[in-house]
Amino acid sequence: MQVSLTLNGRIRTVDVAPHHTLLDALRDDLGLTGTKECCLVGECGACTVRLNGRIVDSCLVLAAEADGGEVTTVEGLAPDPGQLTRLQSAFIDKGAVQCGFCIPGQLMAGDDLLRRVPHPSRAEIEEGLAGNLCRCACYEQIFAAVEVTAAGEAPAESVAAESSSVRELPPHVVDQ
Amino acid sequence: MSVEIGQPVGRGGGEPRVTGDQLYVADIHLPNELHAKLVTLPVAHARIRAIDASRALAVPGCRMVHTAADMPGEMPRFGPQFSDRPVIATGEVKYHGDPVAIVAADTKDAAEEAARLVEVDYEELPAVFTVAGALAEGAPLVQDPALRPGDPLANTNVLREHRVGWGEVDGATADVVVEHTYNFPMVTQFAIEPHAFVAAPDGDGLAVWTTIQHPYWLQRVLARAVGLPLARVRVHAPDPGGAFGGKQHAKYEPVLAFMALKAGRPVRLVLSLEETFQAVRRTETQITVRTGVHRDGSFAFQDIDAYYLIGAYADIADRVTGKGSYIGNGPYNWPAARILARSVLSHTVPSTAFRGFGNPQVNWAVESNITDAALTLRIDPLEIRLRNLAKKGDHFIPFDTPCDGDWAQTVKRAAVLAHWDAPKPAGHGRGIALGIKSGPTTGLSHSLVRLLADGSVVVYAGTQDMGQGARTIFAQIAAAELHVPMEQVSTVMGDTAVVPYDQQTSASRSTVLMGNAVLAACREIKAKLRDKGADLDDGTQSTAQAVRAALGRLGGEVMGTGEARKEADPGHPLGGSAAFFEFNATAVELSVDEETGDITIHRHVAVSDVGRSINRLQVTMQDEGAAIMGLGHTLMEHYIFDDAGRIRNLGAIDYRIPTSMDLPREMLSDTVENGDGPGPYGAKGMSEGALLAVSSAVAAAVRDATGVAIRDLPLSPERVWRALRKRDGELQSSGA
Amino acid sequence: MRAFAYERPTTLADAVALLAEHGPDARILAGGTDLIIRLRDGTYAPSVVVDVKRVRELAPAITQTDGALRVSAGTVMTDIHDSPLMQRWFPALVDAARFVGSVQIRNRATLAGNICNASPAADTVPSLLVYDARVHAIGPAGERTIPLDDFFVRSGVTTLQPGELVTAIDLPLPSGRVGSAFQRRTRRRGHDLASVTLAVALDDAGTTRLAYGSLGPRPLLFVSEGGAPPLDDWFAAARPSPTSMRASPDYRLAMLRVLTQRAMAAARERLEAAA
Repeated sequence: MQVSLTLNGRIRTVDVAPHHTLLDALRDDLGLTGTKECCLVGECGACTVRLNGRIVDSCLVLAAEADGGEVTTVEGLAPDPGQLTRLQSAFIDKGAVQCGFCIPGQLMAGDDLLRRVPHPSRAEIEEGLAGNLCRCACYEQIFAAVEVTAAGEAPAESVAAESSSVRELPPHVVDQ
Repeated sequence: MSVEIGQPVGRGGGEPRVTGDQLYVADIHLPNELHAKLVTLPVAHARIRAIDASRALAVPGCRMVHTAADMPGEMPRFGPQFSDRPVIATGEVKYHGDPVAIVAADTKDAAEEAARLVEVDYEELPAVFTVAGALAEGAPLVQDPALRPGDPLANTNVLREHRVGWGEVDGATADVVVEHTYNFPMVTQFAIEPHAFVAAPDGDGLAVWTTIQHPYWLQRVLARAVGLPLARVRVHAPDPGGAFGGKQHAKYEPVLAFMALKAGRPVRLVLSLEETFQAVRRTETQITVRTGVHRDGSFAFQDIDAYYLIGAYADIADRVTGKGSYIGNGPYNWPAARILARSVLSHTVPSTAFRGFGNPQVNWAVESNITDAALTLRIDPLEIRLRNLAKKGDHFIPFDTPCDGDWAQTVKRAAVLAHWDAPKPAGHGRGIALGIKSGPTTGLSHSLVRLLADGSVVVYAGTQDMGQGARTIFAQIAAAELHVPMEQVSTVMGDTAVVPYDQQTSASRSTVLMGNAVLAACREIKAKLRDKGADLDDGTQSTAQAVRAALGRLGGEVMGTGEARKEADPGHPLGGSAAFFEFNATAVELSVDEETGDITIHRHVAVSDVGRSINRLQVTMQDEGAAIMGLGHTLMEHYIFDDAGRIRNLGAIDYRIPTSMDLPREMLSDTVENGDGPGPYGAKGMSEGALLAVSSAVAAAVRDATGVAIRDLPLSPERVWRALRKRDGELQSSGA
Repeated sequence: MRAFAYERPTTLADAVALLAEHGPDARILAGGTDLIIRLRDGTYAPSVVVDVKRVRELAPAITQTDGALRVSAGTVMTDIHDSPLMQRWFPALVDAARFVGSVQIRNRATLAGNICNASPAADTVPSLLVYDARVHAIGPAGERTIPLDDFFVRSGVTTLQPGELVTAIDLPLPSGRVGSAFQRRTRRRGHDLASVTLAVALDDAGTTRLAYGSLGPRPLLFVSEGGAPPLDDWFAAARPSPTSMRASPDYRLAMLRVLTQRAMAAARERLEAAA
């Protein structure tokens, strides 16, 4: 069946089997592999996307359900190629990226949290990201990235500069 | 502007990971690829009588159903320690999840449907999946004795015994002897990226894309299995999405290689999360420790009797047994010690390497017993450890590398951060435990560095960056040595056809071994430039200027190669002494809800002796990540089996790992850096240390808070609750 | 997943007709957080999936109607815990809705789906029971209203007739002051399936209501109209599964007592604080 959706700001039309999930369609038919596949039962959040203004686990959404809807994936977070959002820069800044596999989902959840709660407390961050597992367990660093973004302290950076600058250690790290 | 070693420079490869551009194996598609799906049986052990693939092959798009019968000639076997594992199950399945067939089809849907339609006629056989079961009189043998001719243990499920010892244990006197048995359950790596593989014909050779940690080791395995020269086997190894040891060794690459060469098309297999639980796990242990201590707190003897329950195939698990138990005594001076560790085969998922490599399990037993002895003697658990801690230069393991750090400094730092001497809030308990692990015992890393005509640099390193940030470390070293900014350095990894040989990525070795190789390559470049009259270190010109001048009219580039080598020592029980030790002190403060058994960790302190941080931020990330993984093992992770050896809790709903809401209220990590490591700038390896002593520290704190000693993991709310009710005399019978 | 046909009716009449036409070969898709998992593991293998999210009569809504708060079938957990009306009148349901899975799950899981799935561990059911919820259903034989306590049979089975679907759930607004609370037991602080769920509601007439789930084939409701409630009798009806992976029977029964005490205390506090 044909499904039309606004995907990262562009209208896309794609043929999908009814039993294929939105995750399948994004990764296999729409060429967007940024959204990841892991548990397939709605526990790990690696497949998190924004659908009609709310974040969902795309492994639990049929592609057909997104027909006529609006979907944003990690590829659609940044306004322009080569630019990163403040949250994306903060993730790199704060050491929140280790293996990176959970990161697209974490970014979608972090982005969603900051839209709903512009200045979240630590407890609100924990709860807002509770649906995103990180086995490398850089949770503290991910929280720090969300916090500095909320505080307006994360600089919007262009891609080229990111490797060279020296980052800050998380505040709880003892640095003699 | 050049980069200082130690600075928390941003992760190389961070940008594509936050934009979604990073390509992991499952994101890679080849033209004309076939999609594979495993066919497994709902049993732990069975004889395969017949496989009928006719209905499966009738599915439109299904191209192949590969079974043992389709293997050419004699079934090839592989394995990093023993060639025990058939490329695909032959005659028998030996664990729940052992594939009997692999389907390959044009689409994922067709593969799924075809896999459902493969009919297997099998006879379920009794399975052993516990230490007791495997060792019982008349227990079915997991491994065919014919695979171990001449081995006196061949007719048992004990694969191997490892014995280490010194001094006189049996005649030793001690004022206090404590003896307990400790159990560490099966847990799984649960990397967020499931294993993924693509095998494809490549001209007259073979190419493979895989989530592997050891590309060159795999290259050897594949070359031998399919009968190709190494030079015709190319392993592409994109940065894995987490590995933790579970992606070190060959799994399905060999069988997929056969399938791809037969089909003449790429064959792609991405495991489900459930299938990863059935592919890799940590070794379970049952360890009895008898510790003798003198009244003044000095250690008298240590007697360790350990069973490591490995899976149906050895993988690297016997090495886990040997290496983990070898340093089981911990970082202390013991006048007398005896360690007996056995690898016990079982009809379970093959256990493999997992962060800590056998040390967390023995640490759980030994550190808990030391705490027990301290409490019996009414000596502070911190004091007793400091009293017996090895000092730099002490041969605390008589025939191995001596203590290589100021470990007391690390311990005292942890105690300070944990407020060890401060009064405890009501209901709080504190625990401290020390972890130690031997670094690599052999090593061989080559690096190639190219300084290009404009002063930019390419570093080739065969290490796998699976999240530990290896790319950044090598780039930092090159940037610092060659005096170029980080953004002028690129790293090339993960392709055996392009990148020179690296032995493996494991044992926290890469900063030291590959780091030294990169360092050596950079120094060779500088030596070549000096021969041409340009000294990069004298600061009179930029590297770009120096290179341009040195290369002259023809331009080109300056190449340097470096090698780091640690030779094997055949006389050593582990094949070589430790290159360095990972040493960590973990201290925890917690409270227990006595009605429910819930543990709240108020403060978690981890201090590691790292020699020198190349990148302080990455060191912190690794230590904290290891600590939280340790908390997962301690508080919530375990495989649950049914009576027939089938895993009940496959997948993410009933196998719990820590979420963002399960963290300690306060996490403090710190490092001790005395520049006394063998790596670049005095670095040691790290990334496993902060996991090793978590269980012991948490259980010690629970005991401090409640008085109960628990010797099984995980410390789930129910287990803690049960121990508390027993303490209060409220339980008639012992529960689960 | 096995293949199936996908239908997306836009009116209730069309939805009812589709379900009548396909009978047991059809499954209703609302939030999908339970259904998709079962489609994938093969426990359901329908030939038709009927997506009811575009049925206009079922669009998400929480409205005050006939002395009750009416929750339409399309209303998701996020809507419930964000609703000021819910927070004011039914805090134990808000507490429960906050615990269902993660943000991603709560944005999809419907209240109607939670009850229709009929898991004994359904997080929202104990609160709905102590609030005397009523279920509106429609089918080929017309509309009817079912008290929630009469809705559950056992795990996975409700009293809905073939071809019926839930259109709304009513929560009657209490006439006097009420204090209510929700408690659950899990294996970690992060989201988890519960091994005990329970809710308590106390009113100023002295009535005590307790409902608990995950302790037998269906959640149970107990009401005592004054005086000390016979908790031991109420607890005696619990039948925890001896084979559950999540918790042993004796632990569950012990937690039932502990959590009931905590819920009672919280409910009492809320009752006293109620204006």
